Amino acid sequence: MEIKRLDKLPEKIIIPLRQHRGAVCEPLVKKGDRVLVGQKIGDSDAYYSSAVHSSVCGEVIAIEESAHPDGNKAMSIIIQPEDSNEAVEFSPGKDLSSEELAELIKESGIVEHYGMPTHTVLKPKGKNIDTVLINATSSEWIGGTFKTPKEYASHGINALKLLMKTAGAKKGAIVLRTDDEESINAFESIEVDNKKIKVAPLLGGRRIGYYFKEQDSGIIVVSQKHIYGKKILNFFTYNVTGRKVKVGCDPTDVGVAVCGVKSAKAFYNAFNTGKPFYETVISIEGVSADLEYMQVKIGTPFKDVIEACGFTGDIGKLIANGVRTGVAQYTDQVPVTKGVTRISIQKPEEVIRDESIECIHCARCVDVCPVELIPSRLAVMADQGRFDECRQIYIENCIECGDCAAVCPSKIHILQLIRYAKDAIEMAYEDLPAKESSNLKLGCGCGGE
Amino acid sequence: MTYTISAPPHKKTRLDFKTLNISKIIALLPLCLAAIYFFGIPALGILIASVAAAVTTEFGIQTIFKQKVTIADGHAALTGLVLALLIPASAPLWIPVFAGFFAIAIGKHVFGGIGSYMFNPALVAWVFTRSAWVSYMTPLSIPHVGQFSDLILESGAGLMVGVSPILLVGGIYLIYKRYIDWRIPLAFFATMIVVPQTLLFISGVTALVHEGVMNPLMYMSQLFTFLDMSPELPYEMIGIVFFGILFIATDTSTSPVTKNGRIIYGITCGVLVFIYGHFGNFVDGTLYGIFLANCVASFIEINTMPASFGTKSFPQKLYRNVMDKIPASLKFEVMNNE
Repeated sequence: MEIKRLDKLPEKIIIPLRQHRGAVCEPLVKKGDRVLVGQKIGDSDAYYSSAVHSSVCGEVIAIEESAHPDGNKAMSIIIQPEDSNEAVEFSPGKDLSSEELAELIKESGIVEHYGMPTHTVLKPKGKNIDTVLINATSSEWIGGTFKTPKEYASHGINALKLLMKTAGAKKGAIVLRTDDEESINAFESIEVDNKKIKVAPLLGGRRIGYYFKEQDSGIIVVSQKHIYGKKILNFFTYNVTGRKVKVGCDPTDVGVAVCGVKSAKAFYNAFNTGKPFYETVISIEGVSADLEYMQVKIGTPFKDVIEACGFTGDIGKLIANGVRTGVAQYTDQVPVTKGVTRISIQKPEEVIRDESIECIHCARCVDVCPVELIPSRLAVMADQGRFDECRQIYIENCIECGDCAAVCPSKIHILQLIRYAKDAIEMAYEDLPAKESSNLKLGCGCGGE
Repeated sequence: MTYTISAPPHKKTRLDFKTLNISKIIALLPLCLAAIYFFGIPALGILIASVAAAVTTEFGIQTIFKQKVTIADGHAALTGLVLALLIPASAPLWIPVFAGFFAIAIGKHVFGGIGSYMFNPALVAWVFTRSAWVSYMTPLSIPHVGQFSDLILESGAGLMVGVSPILLVGGIYLIYKRYIDWRIPLAFFATMIVVPQTLLFISGVTALVHEGVMNPLMYMSQLFTFLDMSPELPYEMIGIVFFGILFIATDTSTSPVTKNGRIIYGITCGVLVFIYGHFGNFVDGTLYGIFLANCVASFIEINTMPASFGTKSFPQKLYRNVMDKIPASLKFEVMNNE
């Protein structure tokens, strides 16, 4: 598989100042300024934030609200690129301490695709991380910018070591997918600390703790079956480490940091070359039978990416981040952000137009649910606004994979209803402090943040 | 350029409610043809009368109450077809017409339509007509499978469903296609086998007790009775029981949605049907048994709600309690994760 590189400069680059669910950055440049490749253009003093960099050399033509792939608008810096590769000086890091590494992550603008700045995952305030996981279940090895599987494996291990050093963790694991033979072979062909890696499958009640002991190593590679979803972290953590994350908490509360392949690779690059995170590899679905991979600069509008793939014809639906849970876009002038992993194009005849009918209790949603919920019941409760009853049947466990809505023969918008209920519950949490609520027990129950 | 915006997922299964109903109807068509071959034109009359009455009633009710007319989804036709197969071919034509009306009007729409009814509409109509016009609704004969050829063409069939158990194989194909859930039929069928065999074993043991046998080996040898066939099995393996297992008990609205609930529901169906069939006959027993099981379906559902993922189930807790008390040196398991 080859990765194309989008070399043609787009007419304009739109870089949103909000690249994650944290504090929005303040622009550091003004209209009319000339920026260089890799120049920091947005930053924030808040810890829960990450810097934003220019991906091209050019002139800032506006700082205004612009479409964001999550469906809302966000304050963005719009740059007119010029045909030059003039870049700021990049200096690779050497012998950095844990704090300096975290600072490097923040300054390089590395964020997780699920919306957390990576340094807040690795060094959360007031919590200790003892295990770092790299979730490689959803990405093929090519999902990064790797040339060969072997390079993927060795970079993966090195990135994991860096992440562990940053977090101060003694243990680290890379989680592969059981059916991803290519990656498994790649990892088994390399050595870590002069020991051959053996990819261990997570079977039955065996979790990584068992394999740390068995292999007598701090770094292991394990494999499990593919889990997919938007809010996967707690379930993933339980599956891999056996630690149960309480409702309202996140994996850092139990000492686990979960990183993606992409951010791990970006961190590896930032450490070795000094380059901040301003280029990313995305996959494009719907142009040909296979996925196409393309390395693009962050801020490139979808329109230019689609043109570069050679797609002509009408577009019925333009979707960011996958057809299962992604957001349908209303314009092709949305930029690729750090959180975008895939662009899906549907032709007008592929767009589904179904009408929901009543639930027929066929229990297909129950059969496919990976976290043992009753999605049909949740949908009814959410529809009627009975949110506390939703909580009683563990709505927070939902990983928002969308399988239930995809298999529903009644075409009920189950995923949407569940998200609605979850949002409503979260808003209730913001409105009233936990102690005053008599019928709802809200928020993190383990004393974390 | 304008793009369509909608909530995810953007790709869904093509399967819809209409496909489910139509495929069930198609799976029943061979049986209908066999019934017409077997009973002649009266059977055809009953099939048409029942389906037409059901569809017309649905159309009428939805038009009168200004609802969206949903006769195209095939549910009314399926209900009418299932009902027609449960009516003796000798019944006068007004019986299927009335039953078809009753099934849709009282069985389905009074309870709120698709997905809301708590009793299978076809069973509601059958129970009503069976009670109201006993003479018309009593089948002329109760089948008994004596040899294998009876499974192919059952000459003792009293109802249309009984004519050929083997032609219900379409239902098994639907399970393979996952149009019908596998848990209920499996649990139901297994119960129908296990319960009579257990009775055989118990009767063997009680006979030994009456004889005053003291030798424990004699009692243990009674375990071999599980290998013998209970004399009740030939009465069970008839068309209507298979029909009940595959098409009536699996009706989605009247069965629980939870995974464990569906297994328990299948067992409940099996036990109730067996009790009824043991003391009466398996033709009425199947239908009354499933009708009674429908009553407890929602009770089963709310009591088998799954726990949050990662919660240990009762047997797992028990196992853990026992294993934690055993010293580590005696254990083979090396499961300590932390």
